[in-house]
Amino acid sequence: MAGEVYNPNPIVFSTAKAAAGRQSDLLAHSLWINDSSSSSEDEAEEVEAIDQDEIFDLIRSIYDPEHPNTLEELRVVSAPQVTVGTNRITVEFTPTVPHCGMSTLIGLCIRVRLLRSLPERYKIDIFVKPGSHQSENAVNKQLNDKERVAAALENPVLLDTVEQCLANVGSRGAIIV
Amino acid sequence: MADISEDRANLTNVVKALGEYLTSEESDMLQKGVQFLAMIVARSPQEKLNSQSARVLTSFFAGKLDDSVTIKPALEGLASLASLPLLTSAEVNNIAQALFAHVKMKAITQDVRFKVFSIIDSLMAFHRDVLRSMGSQFIVGYINLAEGEKDPRNLMVAFAIARVILIDFDVSDHVEGMFNILFCYFPITFRPPPNDKYGITTIDLRMALRGAMAATPTFGPMAIPVFLEKISAGSRVTKKDTLQTMASCLPVYGSALARVSARKLWNALKLEIFQPVDSETEEEALKAFQVLVKTIYTDEEAAVESNEDVQGFARDACEECIQILKEPEKSLARPATKILCAFMSTTPSVARYTISQAVPHLVSLFHNPDEISSRPATLVLLAELTNAARDSMLYQASHTSGAEPPLTPYKDDVLGILSVGLTSTNTRNMALAGLKAMASTRNLLSDEELAFIVHNVNQIIEGNVDEFDDSSNDVLEVLSTISEYAPRHVADQTLPLLFSSLPDQAPSRHSASERAKIWRTLSALQTVCTQQELFESLVIRLTTKLDLLCFPLSEQAKIISEDPEPTAAYAHMILKTLADTLSIKVKQRHADVPKYIDRLVSNIFNLFMTSAFMSNEQAMVATDSRLIQVAAEIVTLVVQSLPIQRQQSYSNGVCKAITVGNVADIAHGFQKTVSTRHLSLFEVSSTSNERNLMALLAAAIVAFYKEISLSLGNIGEFLDMLLKWVLDVADNDLQRYSALHIMASILNRHVDELSSFLIDKLDVFWDKEISNQTLPNERRIRAISAWIWVTKALLVRKHPLAMTFSERLYNTFGDETVGWEAARAIGDIASPDPVFTKVNHAEIKVLFVQKYVGVVLPQLINFAKDNEDPIKQTASLVALTSLIKVIPRGAYVHQMPQLIPLLLRGLDLPDADIRSNVIDTFLAAAEGDTSEKSLVSEHTVTLVNSMLRNSKVGEMTSTKVRISALRYLAVLPSIVRYDVLHPYKLTVLRELAMVLDDPKRAVRKEAVDARTNW
Repeated sequence: MAGEVYNPNPIVFSTAKAAAGRQSDLLAHSLWINDSSSSSEDEAEEVEAIDQDEIFDLIRSIYDPEHPNTLEELRVVSAPQVTVGTNRITVEFTPTVPHCGMSTLIGLCIRVRLLRSLPERYKIDIFVKPGSHQSENAVNKQLNDKERVAAALENPVLLDTVEQCLANVGSRGAIIV
Repeated sequence: MADISEDRANLTNVVKALGEYLTSEESDMLQKGVQFLAMIVARSPQEKLNSQSARVLTSFFAGKLDDSVTIKPALEGLASLASLPLLTSAEVNNIAQALFAHVKMKAITQDVRFKVFSIIDSLMAFHRDVLRSMGSQFIVGYINLAEGEKDPRNLMVAFAIARVILIDFDVSDHVEGMFNILFCYFPITFRPPPNDKYGITTIDLRMALRGAMAATPTFGPMAIPVFLEKISAGSRVTKKDTLQTMASCLPVYGSALARVSARKLWNALKLEIFQPVDSETEEEALKAFQVLVKTIYTDEEAAVESNEDVQGFARDACEECIQILKEPEKSLARPATKILCAFMSTTPSVARYTISQAVPHLVSLFHNPDEISSRPATLVLLAELTNAARDSMLYQASHTSGAEPPLTPYKDDVLGILSVGLTSTNTRNMALAGLKAMASTRNLLSDEELAFIVHNVNQIIEGNVDEFDDSSNDVLEVLSTISEYAPRHVADQTLPLLFSSLPDQAPSRHSASERAKIWRTLSALQTVCTQQELFESLVIRLTTKLDLLCFPLSEQAKIISEDPEPTAAYAHMILKTLADTLSIKVKQRHADVPKYIDRLVSNIFNLFMTSAFMSNEQAMVATDSRLIQVAAEIVTLVVQSLPIQRQQSYSNGVCKAITVGNVADIAHGFQKTVSTRHLSLFEVSSTSNERNLMALLAAAIVAFYKEISLSLGNIGEFLDMLLKWVLDVADNDLQRYSALHIMASILNRHVDELSSFLIDKLDVFWDKEISNQTLPNERRIRAISAWIWVTKALLVRKHPLAMTFSERLYNTFGDETVGWEAARAIGDIASPDPVFTKVNHAEIKVLFVQKYVGVVLPQLINFAKDNEDPIKQTASLVALTSLIKVIPRGAYVHQMPQLIPLLLRGLDLPDADIRSNVIDTFLAAAEGDTSEKSLVSEHTVTLVNSMLRNSKVGEMTSTKVRISALRYLAVLPSIVRYDVLHPYKLTVLRELAMVLDDPKRAVRKEAVDARTNW
């Protein structure tokens, strides 16, 4: 990776507990406390649509290319920054410093993760949070240009870096001991 | 040979007889001669060699060392001689000199070199003084011998010898030589070849070398640069090795050297801590660092005992860390704190100094209005420091008991800011962690201070519900920590608060949030109230509350009778809380559990029995079977903890209730009517609610010791009555299973008195109740479950009839109506259950499952392969899947090659349960499987296709099966070689892309993971 470190000492935030807080689950609290998981197996026809928490779960544990911290810990991504439409998903992320040269790489990681994990019907747009990066337009353009993303993934070194960032992505915010 | 041991011949004769060979000019002859002699010497008993023959032999063998032909046998001869205690110094000298003079290490093979090292090793062991007196001559000679050695086996010996030399000999003139022959191996990068016959591992070598390196302080000045170089240049493994070696060497090299090179070492270590390659290296670096600090300061400990000020290195390092801590929210602050925490467990003076620097710094940082945003981070660091301070106490506790905790001078400040931290939501959890650390430090906080903490924490509980929710875990941890030391404060302040938030009436059906709040309160109580006194008041409060719910006043009763379910749910929560708390207490072996047989269990019987009696006249809350089940949990937990004598007297009461319906002995409580009523469990006139009480009685009986004698009359007749009751009278599963549990427990304990009962079952019951096709299915299925429990009771104690009982089940496999039930029973018999457990004092023999599986599994495999009777064949498949599901992997793994084709057939059975069992079996079998020798590799095509089919929502409606199938797809890449999987990769990825759109979230999650793994 490039020798220059853009932000040697970033702020680390504590992360929300992974289990806590899907609003829909809390409301479904039933009359009886279910102490075993037997009742969780509902074969009902009820459809659970993909929501922003689910998308966030997919990307929260991506590692920052520069630090041994996840994007969630560095507040690069957060659940409210994800919007889900019928067939369209928009993810916004915040680089830790405005001159961060890793922004495109972070964006690329998010894109690769979502490409692999979402049904093909979705169109995915990834943006830098407005005003958080000095060359915002260039980064946005690069991230949402199909050809350039494809070209970037042809590059074995780059792909390897992306894979490293995605190494632990399955944990979805849970702490691995 | 025998001649020598028996004194018929002596060595001289041998030598004489060999004379020609030993002096021969021809190398072949000579070699044979020397070899023969060496063998003789090696095999002769030690006491047969006198000093004279030893001398002669020594000089003879030593003389043969210069000849490349005879060197090997000669060395062998010397090796046996070297361990003789009777060698004189002259001979030892002679051997060593000869070795040094004639043996060219580079010219001989490794196993011959091994002999050389063994000789020196033996000489070291038996004649160390002589070697020592040889002085530098020996050392120089040895250095020459050992130089350039490469064979791991030889090195192991060489390192051991070097360690002895370094410790025992005067090496002052040869430090550099020794240093060179040792440090050239550092760090060890040796990797044992596959099938290494000596079995020397990298770790063995590493430890041996480390031992040699840490043998003398004189290596120090030369070693430090080597360490520094290896740390900065090395790979991960090298780094770790170097750090560990440093940790063991530094104390030997001494504090003077450590002090001189501290700065350089600190710089190197700092890099590893602040930019760690991985967490392991970081930890090793911290340990090495602790050793460094300890080495430097231990000597002066006495001198600076009274002095707050620590000079030199620790001071610098500490200041550097504190400098970094000026920005506590940044990522470097964590490692800096780790270093400070590491300081804590070095020496008391350093610990005191660190605290005196760090704590005030953090406190002032917290108070600084410009730094409000970094308050959470500040508190995190403070909590870590407090924890470290506590742990450092534990280290020192052994030699300085009753010492003042290092944090004492600052506790007011820290307590102050932690209390401030509690008031704001974003710092609350960190502050709670800090409080917990303080509360768990012995001797740190006074009684009033603990009360103060409890008071502050209570305010959180009283406050906003959502806020409490976020930090409830931490709050409860603090409270339970405090309740260990000072239960009174929690009892006085917190419990009333929690109890008062529990309403006397259940919330209505629609107020879910109200219910959630109650459950939160109860969970909080459960966490806090495991301590003795607190549990007692919990029991009193909750039983009172239960009584109020179950026997409401008249105007309230009307409301409840309209919709009893919410009230029952509330009562259920309360019972569940009691049961969970009790089970925690039982796990921790609290001594106060038995006394609740009177205080709690009796009340429970009273309540449920009264409710059952009164249910004829009005709707009663406590007749709900779910409530009874939780109550039964409580009964079992308490009864199993009773000592034998108490169980005996209690069992009399239970038996009275069963036989004559007199419950007065076991059901004292608030409701007085109960003792006048008559319990008629076995009469047909009994109500279903009364019969449900069987569950509570069963809960007591399953936990009885085998020594308890039951006053039930003839036990065999009693069991038969129970069975009849199960088949004819009982009207729900709760009743049936309770009765079967009673029967099985009694059978398990008293089988020796019940042989006629068993024979009757085999001869009569089977034909009449199970294989009798004229009976309704329902009844036959019930009879099968009775059969299961009889077999279980026998199997767990490895009774000889157990197999007869289980094999009898095969007979019904061909039966179209109950064949599958009988097949499932095969699995149920082996499945673990809560009745036959050690804690319930059941008669259990080890490995009973393995024995069962060893017999049943091959039979089932044969049935399943047999095409003649398709109904039986399918039933056998069902039996196989249900059996494999419940037994440990080791019991069937050797049969896997035969099982896989059968299991694959099971995947085509229409039953979703069976399919998910099969896939789960594959999953369990995959554990520990590696791609090198995979069991399933040849079935990859079938597996992949079948799993893909089972994972699609259109083809498989059961969510559970879809999830299992995806999980299996996810593990496939790790258990099957890539070249086998490659042809299917594109298909799988394409198909999984469709599964990603599954309507269920849990399925999508598994699909994502599976797809990522491919």
